[in-house]
Amino acid sequence: MKHSYLTAVILIAVIAAVAVGSQVLGIRLYDRIATNLLISLVLVVGLQTFMGNSGLLSFAHIGFMGLGAYTSAVLTIPAQMKGMALPDLYGFMKAVEISPLLAMFAAGLVAAVVAAVVAYPLMRLSDAAAVITSFALLVVLYTVMNNWSAFTNGPRTLFGLPKTTELPVAAIVAAIVVVVALVFKESRTGKLLRASREDEVAAAALGANIPHLRWRAFILAAFIAGIGGALWGHFITSFAPKAFYLKETFLIITMLVIGGANTVTGAVAGTILVTVAYEGLRGTEGALNATAAAAGQVVGLTEIVLALAMIAVMIVKPGGLFPNREIGHILNRTRRKKEIATP
Amino acid sequence: MLDVTDLSVSYGTIRAVRGISFTVGKGELVSLLGANGAGKSSTIKCIAGALKAAGGSIALEGKDITAANPEQVIRAGLATVPETRDVFPDLTVAENLMLGAYIHRRDQAGNRQNLEKLHTLFPRLAERSGQAAGTLSGGEQQMLVIARALMARPSVLLLDEPSLGLAPAIVERIFEMIATLKQSGLTILLVEQNVNQALSVADRAYVMRLGAIVASGTADEIRSGSDLSAHYLGG
Amino acid sequence: MAFAIQFVIDVLSLGGAYALMALGLVIIYGILRLVNFAYGELIMVAGYTMYLSSGSGLPWLVMATLAVGMAVLFGILTDYAAFRPVRAKSVTAVLITSFAFSNLLQNAALLFISPRPRNVPLPEIFSQTISIGGAITPVRNLITIAASIVLLAGVAFLMRKTTLGIAMRAAATNFTMARMLGVPANLIISSAFALSGFLAGVVGILWIGRIGTVVPGVGLEPLLVAFIATVIGGMRSLPGAVVGGFLLALIDTTLNYTLSQDLLKFRDAFTFSLVILILLWRPQGLIKGPASGQRT
Repeated sequence: MKHSYLTAVILIAVIAAVAVGSQVLGIRLYDRIATNLLISLVLVVGLQTFMGNSGLLSFAHIGFMGLGAYTSAVLTIPAQMKGMALPDLYGFMKAVEISPLLAMFAAGLVAAVVAAVVAYPLMRLSDAAAVITSFALLVVLYTVMNNWSAFTNGPRTLFGLPKTTELPVAAIVAAIVVVVALVFKESRTGKLLRASREDEVAAAALGANIPHLRWRAFILAAFIAGIGGALWGHFITSFAPKAFYLKETFLIITMLVIGGANTVTGAVAGTILVTVAYEGLRGTEGALNATAAAAGQVVGLTEIVLALAMIAVMIVKPGGLFPNREIGHILNRTRRKKEIATP
Repeated sequence: MLDVTDLSVSYGTIRAVRGISFTVGKGELVSLLGANGAGKSSTIKCIAGALKAAGGSIALEGKDITAANPEQVIRAGLATVPETRDVFPDLTVAENLMLGAYIHRRDQAGNRQNLEKLHTLFPRLAERSGQAAGTLSGGEQQMLVIARALMARPSVLLLDEPSLGLAPAIVERIFEMIATLKQSGLTILLVEQNVNQALSVADRAYVMRLGAIVASGTADEIRSGSDLSAHYLGG
Repeated sequence: MAFAIQFVIDVLSLGGAYALMALGLVIIYGILRLVNFAYGELIMVAGYTMYLSSGSGLPWLVMATLAVGMAVLFGILTDYAAFRPVRAKSVTAVLITSFAFSNLLQNAALLFISPRPRNVPLPEIFSQTISIGGAITPVRNLITIAASIVLLAGVAFLMRKTTLGIAMRAAATNFTMARMLGVPANLIISSAFALSGFLAGVVGILWIGRIGTVVPGVGLEPLLVAFIATVIGGMRSLPGAVVGGFLLALIDTTLNYTLSQDLLKFRDAFTFSLVILILLWRPQGLIKGPASGQRT
C-alpha cells in the first residue's frame, strides 16, 4: 500500500479509537476530554499544514480560530437570543440564523479570507521577521475580538451558541482535516514548499515562488483553524476573547512541537500525548488546591511542567517524536526490512 | 612546527579529507596544491578549528591542537586567512586591524609597534585607516585580512587561496608580499590553485586530489614532476 | 505651542522607551540571528524584584540597581536555559525554547507570587508633574527621555569605542571569523545577553513606573513593541532598532491624539496595518543590517 494511504488509514483509525473508546467507557468526563482532544487535533493538524511545510512558526493560528468561533456564533445564535447575547449587533445581521454546518464552513472561509489579505506582505519576510509579525498578528486579532463589541460582545462572555458539536461530529471533522493535511503535504505546493526549505535557490529554479507557496499554506491553515474555532464554539457554547490568546497558542505549539511539526503523524501523536498530560496535570493541580495547605493557590503548575517538557524535547529530539517520516512510511520500511531479512 | 598526521574531515557521511599527513618546518613556506574540491579548504578549516576532525591529529610546536576551537588555535600561535577574504565590512580598516590584535589587547604598546611595521608593509591600509573595510577593493581587502592575521603575531600563518578572484597584477603584488613575509622568518602554509605562482615562492609542496595527498617534494621536484598537470586537471 | 511641546515630549519619552526595548532585542538577534521570546519576562523580573524588595527599607536607587541586576542575571540565564542547548540545531528550535522559557517564567510568577497586580515602589518624583511652556507633563516622561539619551549614548560608545563592542559588531557580521581572531564566542554571547538584560531592566523600571504595578504578563506589550520596532527598522541594525522605536512612538502618539475614543481601542490594529504597509514598501525594513554572515 502506498505509504500516505497507510498513514491516512492509521491516523483515522486512531481518531475513531479515541471517539469509540470514550463512547464505550460511557463516562461523561471522558466524553468531554475526547471531544476536546479531537478539536485540538483539528487545530494542531491545521497548524501543521503551514508550519510543517513552510518551516515557519506561526503564532497567529489561534487568532484565526477565534475568528472562526465568532463568525459561527454570529451566524447561528437564534434570532430571539441575539438581542441579549449581542446587544450591539448591526441591524441587518440580527435576523440571520443559518445551520451550524453551513456556519462552520463560513467560519473557515472568513478566517481564510482575512489570512489571505493580511498575510500576503508578511510571507515575503525573512524567517525571524515572518515569525514575529505572526506574533504581532495574534495580538492584533485579539485586540479586535476584544473591542469589536458589535460582533463579539467585547471582552465579555458571548453565550447562546447552539450545542451541535458532539463527539462523532468532532471525530469526522478531525478525520477530514487529517486527510486534507496529508493530501496537501503530497501536493505540488506542499512538495515545493518543503524543497524550498532545503535549498531556496534550487526550488526557485524549479519555478517556486516561495512567498506565494507559503501564502497558500497559510490560507489553508487559517481555513482549518476557522473550522476548528466553529467546532469548539458549538461545543463550549459560551466563550470570551481571552480563550484565543497566548495560553492556547502555547498549548497547540507544544502539541505540534512535541509530536513533530514536520509530519501529520507527529501532530496527531503530540495532540494526544499533551492532552493526556494536560488533563493529568490539571487534575493534580485541582487535587492540590483541594488540600488545606494550598487552598486554591496552585496556578500555572501545568504550564511550567509543559514548558520544561518542551525545552527538554527540543534539546533531546529537536524534530519531535515523528521528525520526518509519517507512520505509514515507517511501517512500510520496517516491513520491507523484515522481508529482506527473511527471504 | 606544524605537524598534521593522518587527518580526516567529514561532512555527514561524505569524507572530504581522507587521512592526510604533512609537516611545515620552522621558517618554511609550504604549499598545498590541488584543484577545486580536492579537500584543501576543508583541511585549512579543520586546522583553524572551524571544523571538527573526524580522525588523526594536528600539532603546533609539539602541542596537540586537534580538538581546539578557533579561539584556542589563534592563541596557540596559528593565524588563518580564509579564502572567503572575511573582512568585517562595516568596521573600519583600523577596527579590523585592532580586532586582529584581540589576543594581545593588554599589550597596546606592542600592538602600536606591530601596526607601524604593517603600515610600512601595506601603505594603502594606513591611507584608508578610517574607511569601512567593505568599501576597499578586492586586492586591498586581501591585504587587510593578511595584515589583520599578522596583528596576532602568529608563529604560523595559514593562507587560503590569497590569489582567488584577483587581477594578475594584484596577484603578483600579493605573492611578492608573501615572499617578504617568508624572508622575515615567518612559517607559512599556503593553499593555492595557482600552481606556478605558489611554486615560485614555496620551499616544498604537497599536491592533493580527492581528499588525499598524491604527490610531495621540493618546489623544483613538483614543478618537474610530469604527473602534476594530470593530477591538476583531474585526469 | 503648548500642544506642540506636549506632543514632542510624548513622542520622545515613548520613543526613548521603545527604542531601548527594541535595542535589547536586536543586540541578541544581530549576533545570533535568533529571536528571544523571553525578552519581555526580563522586564517582568525587574518589576518583581522591585516589588519583593519594597519591604526591605533599602533606598530606592539600591532597589532599582538590584532590579536591573536581576534582569541582567535572568538575561544570561535565558542563554543557558533556552539558547545554548539548542543553538546549533535550528532557528525554530530556539524560537520554541525561548517561547517556552517565557511561559515558564510567567507561570512561575503566577504560581509563586500572584496572578494579581503587585505594587512597585516608586520615588515621589515619578508621580509629580511639571509645566514646560504651558504644557503640563509628568516628570517621569522627562526622566525617561534623559535615561534613554544616556543609555543610547552609552550603547553607542560601547559598540564604537570599546574592544568588546567592536568585537560584538564583528561577531554580528561573521561569527566564525571573529572567533578565528581569538574573540571567545561565549564571552560575546554572554555579553550580548547581559546588555540585553541591562536595557530590559532599565526600561522595565521606567515602563512599570507608568502604571505602578507589576503582573505576570507585564512583558507582553514591551515585547510586542520591540518586535514591531525591529521589523520596521530592519531586524539586524542597531540604529534601525532605534529609528523603528521612535517611528513607532510617533505613530502611536499621533493615533492617540487623533483617534476618537471608540477607535482608540483598535490602536494596535491600526499600528499593525501601518507596519504591513511599510513592509510592502520595504520588506527588509527601513535600515538594512550589516552584510549577511553565517548563523552560528
